[in-house]
Amino acid sequence: MMATLRAWPFWACAAGLALLPLISGPFYTYLWVTCLIFGILAMGLDILMGYTGQVSFGHAAFFGLGAYSTAVMIQFYKIQSLWVSLLVMAVVVGAYALIVSYFATTRRGIYFALLTLIFAEVVHRIFFYTYAFGASDGIQGLDPVTILPGVPVDTPTKIYYVVLAALLVCYLAASVLVRSHFGRVLAAIRENEDRARFLGYNVRRYKMVACVVSALIAGVAGALYPARAGFATPDLLMWTLSGEAIVMVMLGGAGTLVGPILGGAFFTILVEKVSSVWDYYFIAVGLVLAAVVLFMPKGLFGLVARWTRRREAPGAAGIRVPAGAAAEVRRDPAARAGRRT
Amino acid sequence: MLGDIILETQNLSRDFGALRALGHVDLQVPRGRVHSVIGPNGAGKTTFFNVVTGMYAPTAGRVIFKGEDITGVPPEAINWKGIAKTFQITQIFRELTVLENVQIACQSRLPETGKLRSLWAAPDVRDRAADLLKFFRLDGRLDEHAGNLSHGEQRFLDICLALATEPELLLLDEPTAGMTPSETREAVDLIMQVARRRGLTLLLIEHDMSVVMGISDRVTVLHQGLKIAEGTPDEVRADPKVVEAYLGGEL
Repeated sequence: MMATLRAWPFWACAAGLALLPLISGPFYTYLWVTCLIFGILAMGLDILMGYTGQVSFGHAAFFGLGAYSTAVMIQFYKIQSLWVSLLVMAVVVGAYALIVSYFATTRRGIYFALLTLIFAEVVHRIFFYTYAFGASDGIQGLDPVTILPGVPVDTPTKIYYVVLAALLVCYLAASVLVRSHFGRVLAAIRENEDRARFLGYNVRRYKMVACVVSALIAGVAGALYPARAGFATPDLLMWTLSGEAIVMVMLGGAGTLVGPILGGAFFTILVEKVSSVWDYYFIAVGLVLAAVVLFMPKGLFGLVARWTRRREAPGAAGIRVPAGAAAEVRRDPAARAGRRT
Repeated sequence: MLGDIILETQNLSRDFGALRALGHVDLQVPRGRVHSVIGPNGAGKTTFFNVVTGMYAPTAGRVIFKGEDITGVPPEAINWKGIAKTFQITQIFRELTVLENVQIACQSRLPETGKLRSLWAAPDVRDRAADLLKFFRLDGRLDEHAGNLSHGEQRFLDICLALATEPELLLLDEPTAGMTPSETREAVDLIMQVARRRGLTLLLIEHDMSVVMGISDRVTVLHQGLKIAEGTPDEVRADPKVVEAYLGGEL
């Protein structure tokens, strides 16, 4: 964290983001809020996808459970405090992430992704059919959250600063994590799981912890969502959002933390802008994604890094983009070695 | 007469479906010695290693390390007990730098490992990693991506990773495979230096007979999963069953 706090780009970005609502009207401030929320979601996913090499196709469930935590607190318990919502979210999402990761980490690569997807879809269906939670309509018309008793976060600008603060805290925490002892092991797992095991690391436990941390950050993004939108619906738990989160990470550049934040913002703006003029906006989104994957394998962050001629520190617990699930399947040295003997 | 046995296998067997990859292998490795396992392709050597290191559970039999039954213990726990291995196909962290590779291995034995504070602490193991790499003549390539090293250098790095976990028993699966003759000599020389200095026990799979005969205290010969001979290099070399296995007596 000290390294991050000393770096000028961090302060430049934080200052720039802090100034943004001063030059934007309410419409755009709301859009920036959405950008930041999805930026947090994508950054959370990046810990699992970019740094650990495990692609989750179920991050919408963490996000959605976070959103429902806040919504339920406000609607049913009349507790508007964001802190209480975050605490409830941490318990709910943490417990759920532990269960998912316990089962999903028994498998690798595409099967890991499928297991996370299946669990998330189950959660989605449960909320979709549970009348207590508003079933398919979700929980609508929520009061604003508060950060102190009697201080409602009720204007776009206030919401923006709360979300920005959450983003910066999550980013600092994540940047400490990926450079830590633990973060180095995650990079090792991404690069070569079997080697990591034979160095004495309980790979499955590391993956589970990575999954829980990743889920909690996604949960923070989710818990903030009703503060902006005033609702929580089952759509927030759906696989489409999980897929979009993956797209955001890839757009921005996996394994960079900053990249996925950029990716989340870029994706949100792209969808907003194109969908206002064209109903089939996802065609445009798809084309952009294809172009990024083909021509910018390191995503937007790679592009920015090249422009600013900032050479990324090699590896530093995983700046480089992993091949993710594909790499997982490619290397299964145990099986290969076994077959040869 | 055998003194201190560090590793012992009793009746160790492993089936893959109907195939018996390993059958009733009894082996005793005395501490501080070099023990080689040889045999033609498909003899079960790597399977033997994989069963000893917990990658596969044995179908039958026991593995005993320092008097403790470690049969069926998973690889990460086996590593903690003091067994490390290198792989037949080099296993390194290709996209990380050479230094990062060994740092990851070195930090495995720090008290932080597995503790909550490892989530934020970043212990400095640079010096230890650099020392080890220097010994294996990789100190000029610390910031190179591991995947960019030459084949021989990657093999050395793999050995560094194993050594960084401070094992008492090191299993080397064809450490000199694909190396040039001069690299092979260098590798053997360096490995033996480390082994002597650390009092390390080596269990070695090797195809290069000059290596096997040069450094082994004892040699076990596997053929079609069975132990067909064991003894000093000279005894094994003179054993007609071994000659037959290598020249192809079956069928």
